Amino acid sequence: MKATKMRFFLLALVIMLALAGCTKGNNEAKDSSSASANSPSASESSGDPSSSASASSEADKTPVTFSYFNAAVAGKDGNTNETVLGKLLEDQTGVNFKMEHLVGDLNTKLGVMIASGDLPDVMVPDSGIDKMLDAKAFIPLNELLDKYGPNIKKLYGPYWEDMKSPDGNIYIIPFAANNGFVPDMYQPGAFYIQRGVLKEFGYPKITTLDEYFDLIKKYKEKHPQINGGDTIGFDVLTDDWRFFTLTNPAPNLAGLPNEGEVFVDMQSHHAAVTGDKDFMKRWIQKLNEANSQGLLDKESLVAKYDQYIAKLSTGRVLGFFDYGWQIIPAQQNLLQAGDDDRRYMGFPLVFDKGTKDQYMDPPKFVANRGIGITSKAQDPARIIQYFDNMVKEENQKLLFWGEKGKTYEVDDKGRFYQTDEQIKQTQNPDFQQSYGFKYYSYYWPMGAGLFSDGNSYFADRQPEVIEKSYSEGDKTLLNAYGLKVFTDVYSPPDERKWYPVWTANKQQGSPEQIFEQKKTDLQRKAFPKLILAAPAKFDALWNDYVADFNKLDVKAYEDWANGVVQDRLNGKKR
Amino acid sequence: MVRKSLLSKLIEQRTLVLMSVPLLLWLFVFRYIPVWGWTIAFQHFRPGTKLFDQEWVGFDNFKFLFQDESFYRVMRNTLAMSSINLVLGFITAITLAILLNELRHLYFKRIVQTISYMPHFISWVVASSIIVNALSTESTGIVNLILLKLGIIQEPILWLAEGKYFWGILGTAEVWKNLGWNTIIYLAAITTIDPAQYEAAEIDGASRLQRILYITLPGLKPVIVILLILNLGNILESGFEPQYLLGNGLTADYSDNLDIFVLKYGIAMGNFSFATAAGVFKTVISFILLFSANHIAKRLGQPRLF
Repeated sequence: MKATKMRFFLLALVIMLALAGCTKGNNEAKDSSSASANSPSASESSGDPSSSASASSEADKTPVTFSYFNAAVAGKDGNTNETVLGKLLEDQTGVNFKMEHLVGDLNTKLGVMIASGDLPDVMVPDSGIDKMLDAKAFIPLNELLDKYGPNIKKLYGPYWEDMKSPDGNIYIIPFAANNGFVPDMYQPGAFYIQRGVLKEFGYPKITTLDEYFDLIKKYKEKHPQINGGDTIGFDVLTDDWRFFTLTNPAPNLAGLPNEGEVFVDMQSHHAAVTGDKDFMKRWIQKLNEANSQGLLDKESLVAKYDQYIAKLSTGRVLGFFDYGWQIIPAQQNLLQAGDDDRRYMGFPLVFDKGTKDQYMDPPKFVANRGIGITSKAQDPARIIQYFDNMVKEENQKLLFWGEKGKTYEVDDKGRFYQTDEQIKQTQNPDFQQSYGFKYYSYYWPMGAGLFSDGNSYFADRQPEVIEKSYSEGDKTLLNAYGLKVFTDVYSPPDERKWYPVWTANKQQGSPEQIFEQKKTDLQRKAFPKLILAAPAKFDALWNDYVADFNKLDVKAYEDWANGVVQDRLNGKKR
Repeated sequence: MVRKSLLSKLIEQRTLVLMSVPLLLWLFVFRYIPVWGWTIAFQHFRPGTKLFDQEWVGFDNFKFLFQDESFYRVMRNTLAMSSINLVLGFITAITLAILLNELRHLYFKRIVQTISYMPHFISWVVASSIIVNALSTESTGIVNLILLKLGIIQEPILWLAEGKYFWGILGTAEVWKNLGWNTIIYLAAITTIDPAQYEAAEIDGASRLQRILYITLPGLKPVIVILLILNLGNILESGFEPQYLLGNGLTADYSDNLDIFVLKYGIAMGNFSFATAAGVFKTVISFILLFSANHIAKRLGQPRLF
């Protein structure tokens, strides 16, 4: 009996230890307490950046590796010196960057990073900038730039004052100091439709949502199957934080730009929430109608982002609303597949004919997105020196065009161009990665627009290259619609000095921040239900939703938004 | 006999005392010092700011937690999903362990064990993808396919879009994933039962079922009770990944649990104080549950944790 008791006790002990090792009850507390222990010391050491700067002489080229975290875009992690361009820059400066990209949710990742104090040397925080500044995780760059950044100062000269925070310090270097015309990395939001559909019906000009769905309906009836699978009329994207892809089109369809959760009246400059407005109802009701006609892919209401991309890549989806930057993988897959009919073209649709579309962002120097140096950086001076070196014009040409004779050519008038082969090569994602174009394409201090010799900063913006890079299918489409480039489908944006409201910082745990989360929670629940509902029940369900919506703290949110608009109109930074 | 003083007892057992020192140190450093971090729950915490510069807000974070109406929904979901997992996990694991124990064919037994362990080693990200595909309305959705072929349903069902299916799907998924793993402990416990008892029962003419009912199950009882007590302490831990990965807006009313709530309103918003407050709340509740379960076990004369 004693033996069994002993054995039992041992067993229990083993179980206890195993479970104790696995439980995580106190993790949050543990993480945050270590943050409070680490961060103060970190900010103390960063208080005097010149001390570490003076240690390294001007032309220090001893090999060093800094870490770089990019929260703005997904990508392959690696070292810059494993790429051709990165190696060239390392030869000039001795600096290598270990690149890491965001996987998953931005806010969660930044929250954990800040709380644990586990920061990289250099960071692109995207919309998480306010979190970084709140935590004093970025160091002021003013002195460093004065000392080590003559080329940066020259390039960013016209925007210098815009770069300063309210406290007069520069914490981040924004991307793309424009000189000349405004480049847009990706197409802004658009209702995409398959080129095969346009071809089938003789390239009709689509301006309204009704026309768009009519075309999709007609095509689907005619071709119930594509590539051996059922044709899907319309797909939506609702996954996690990407949910805005479902709600943003509503103001766009009413001829308003995307300001986030509000729209701003052009005359009174009054901001009001979009969630309960008629245009939102009209848009959701249209999706409800599309669903009842069997045009909507029900499953896309519960699908994850990668499933959505996979579906688009099959070429079976006729239409969807999205932003150029969000569908890059699908676009590339379809391009690689080589069937031009299955690729897409985007249109800025509106509800009613005659409404001017406002999908395109007004030109603006975006000062609250950029790259910063964190309080954890050991040697900020070397980093600034690296930045300064890379914005020299000859290095900018190197980073965006590559090496002369290898990735581009120069004609006798000094114009840059690319041969067909070079275009094909530089468009290949694998080549972009191995050569370094991927790492250096954006998200660094850089210029944009035109070089001093009149060549375009980016190869794909150079007229000589654009003309050559269009496929036969591209050319047919552009001809049919009388466009020079695809972004010509958009109307020019109206001047809006406050635009866009959504980029304004929100305090942690503030009513406006909580409103946004609650609103998203509510819509994530209500909108799919509204879309899947029987059309006869739609109005009743919509009224329920509006009642729930008005229970949220709408007033606090609108007050905040109006504050932002007024401040920006008065020239204050928000 | 005179009771020895504590000190002399300690000296007498010094080897044992010395051996336990590292573990006690570990416990203190990693389990007790972090409790200091609970102060964050009473602040408007900003990372990177010194303790004295923090804004102290009393119980505001707890008020936000308890006043939020979604908190009660989230608690309901947490408790429901935990209970489902607890009950299903216990029943299936004990059943499988007993069945495996009765197998006489060693190779077959090992094959079954290996196959049932395997899903445990798949990460939830992959597992959820498999589940989503299996439940899909597309041609890959095996569940819909089978039900259609059998004529049970006329149209494919969008399983993951209906909140009331969610707990069932989650429970099934958990069982599929962890069944094999959970049996290990019971199989180990069964081996501690004295074989002489089985032999005696056999001689007395007990049938197989009787041997299971009167020897195996009573033999397992202490382990079952201990595990139950430990698991009750963890009842607010209903998991995070499966709910996060399988849930969506349509099922949020059933799939959002305490961890997801904390993630959304705490960490994702940079509101660490709120996240800590929720953590404190969880610990306190777990503490109470653990002690009451232990106390009840004691009252009922069952083996207990301490």
